[in-house]
Amino acid sequence: MRWLRVQAVVRRHAFVLQRAPQRWFDVVVWPVVDAVLFGAIGVYFGRQADVGEAGAAFLLAGILLFHVVFQAEVSLATGFMEETWSRNLLNLLVTPLREVEYVAGVVLFGLAKLAMSVTVVGTVAFGLFAFNVTDIGLALVPIVAVLLLVGWSVGLLVIGLILRVGQGAEILAWGLLAMLMPLSGIFYPVDALPGVLQPIGKVLPLTHVFAAGRAVLEGDPLPWDEIGIGAAGALVLGAASVWFVVRMLATFRSRGYISRHT
Amino acid sequence: MPSTSAPASSAEPGILVARGLEKRYKRVQAVDGLDLTVGAGERVALLGPNGAGKTTTLLMLLGVVTPDAGWVEIMGHRLPRHRSEAAEHVGFAAGYLPLPERLRVVEFLRLFGQLYGLADPGPAVELGLERFGITHLAGAMGNELSSGQRTLIGIVKATLHRPPLLVLDEPTASLDPDVALRVRTGLNRLCSDDDTALLVTSHNMIEVERLCERVVFISAGRVVADGKPAEVAARFGRDDLEGVFLHLAEEREGA
Repeated sequence: MRWLRVQAVVRRHAFVLQRAPQRWFDVVVWPVVDAVLFGAIGVYFGRQADVGEAGAAFLLAGILLFHVVFQAEVSLATGFMEETWSRNLLNLLVTPLREVEYVAGVVLFGLAKLAMSVTVVGTVAFGLFAFNVTDIGLALVPIVAVLLLVGWSVGLLVIGLILRVGQGAEILAWGLLAMLMPLSGIFYPVDALPGVLQPIGKVLPLTHVFAAGRAVLEGDPLPWDEIGIGAAGALVLGAASVWFVVRMLATFRSRGYISRHT
Repeated sequence: MPSTSAPASSAEPGILVARGLEKRYKRVQAVDGLDLTVGAGERVALLGPNGAGKTTTLLMLLGVVTPDAGWVEIMGHRLPRHRSEAAEHVGFAAGYLPLPERLRVVEFLRLFGQLYGLADPGPAVELGLERFGITHLAGAMGNELSSGQRTLIGIVKATLHRPPLLVLDEPTASLDPDVALRVRTGLNRLCSDDDTALLVTSHNMIEVERLCERVVFISAGRVVADGKPAEVAARFGRDDLEGVFLHLAEEREGA
């Protein structure tokens, strides 16, 4: 892997963010909207149920952690989509750039976007609702690590689908996580789901990570068993995603799908 | 099992060596057992009517499309296993490729210079823009350029790393004659200065005669003629390459 090429990919996407105002929606606008929306809902229901600030804290922690997985996924998927939108794919495919270098560059830049969006959510949560995410403490580290792995895995799945079926799959960059959001109990234990959906929720790695986050918020020690299950699921998902995207790239090259993007 | 991943170098002479390339898209046999060699500093035109298999051939030579059979080597690096190493020795530009939006010309060129392994692409970018007389475009945004300017920038991008082989797909398609002349002049200078080999597709036969010393005609995915322009025209009993082109196009329509 050549760092110079990874660096070029990072710079390319930095220019895109710098010059495309609509890209700031994912980084700033939606995080602010989500933080205000879920914080306010949490405050309201907290008053109704007489649980005080705890309600808002659960929702804000959930949305903040969801933005970790969302930003990791969306940065990777939209980073690739940017090449298809600007018909730059052929330009890249004829350079010495290796696939792993491209993904590394987009992921690295995605981490910068992630830091920005999580800072935005954290600041809004603290400023408007007095919720301090750092109260979760060092438990955040393994939780965020698993969330990142899930986000990147889903991003790779989306890229694989775009390679295979074309731009029709782009909606999944946002849609796939939106489908996972209710199933993985971001704001509630999975047993709050209708019975028929609970088995699905239980096999999703995100469910266990969010459960771990809630446990820490309640003042319990980090449940390593939940983190372990989440991490194992994320590793399986990651391996499947890598396998899938490699297969789809081979199909892309074999069937000459580059003609869709020139 | 296709032989595309066969190991080792063929040790055949030539910057680019392709043997037995085949590609089928559903019911269409796009390329059918094509052999091609491009030597150092050689200027070769790959010609043929629409649908002859030119672009598919170029994309297989560049490693973007995987052949069903056959193999490609660039500077001894066999595709697809050594695609990245091979790509370090090739530049590619196409008249139909836009520049990515939201990038200035100089930013675009520097980024691609880095992708081609230049730690400091600045001097190469300056030289490339000077060579084609377009230094004034350095600060322009990609989407502000005319098609001719985009083509010139694309060629500059493809030559930043001074590759021994430059592959161009329809470089002067839909360009005004004066811009096409500037492209040709720049390419001639580049090939003379750096001894760059050229593999170019074009529908402009006059341009090909002025730019290339060797032409390879393909029809239905097969090489049907290979040699100096005058020799190929004579072999088909025509006065010039345009006559050969029209003959092959008629033949294809009749098939």
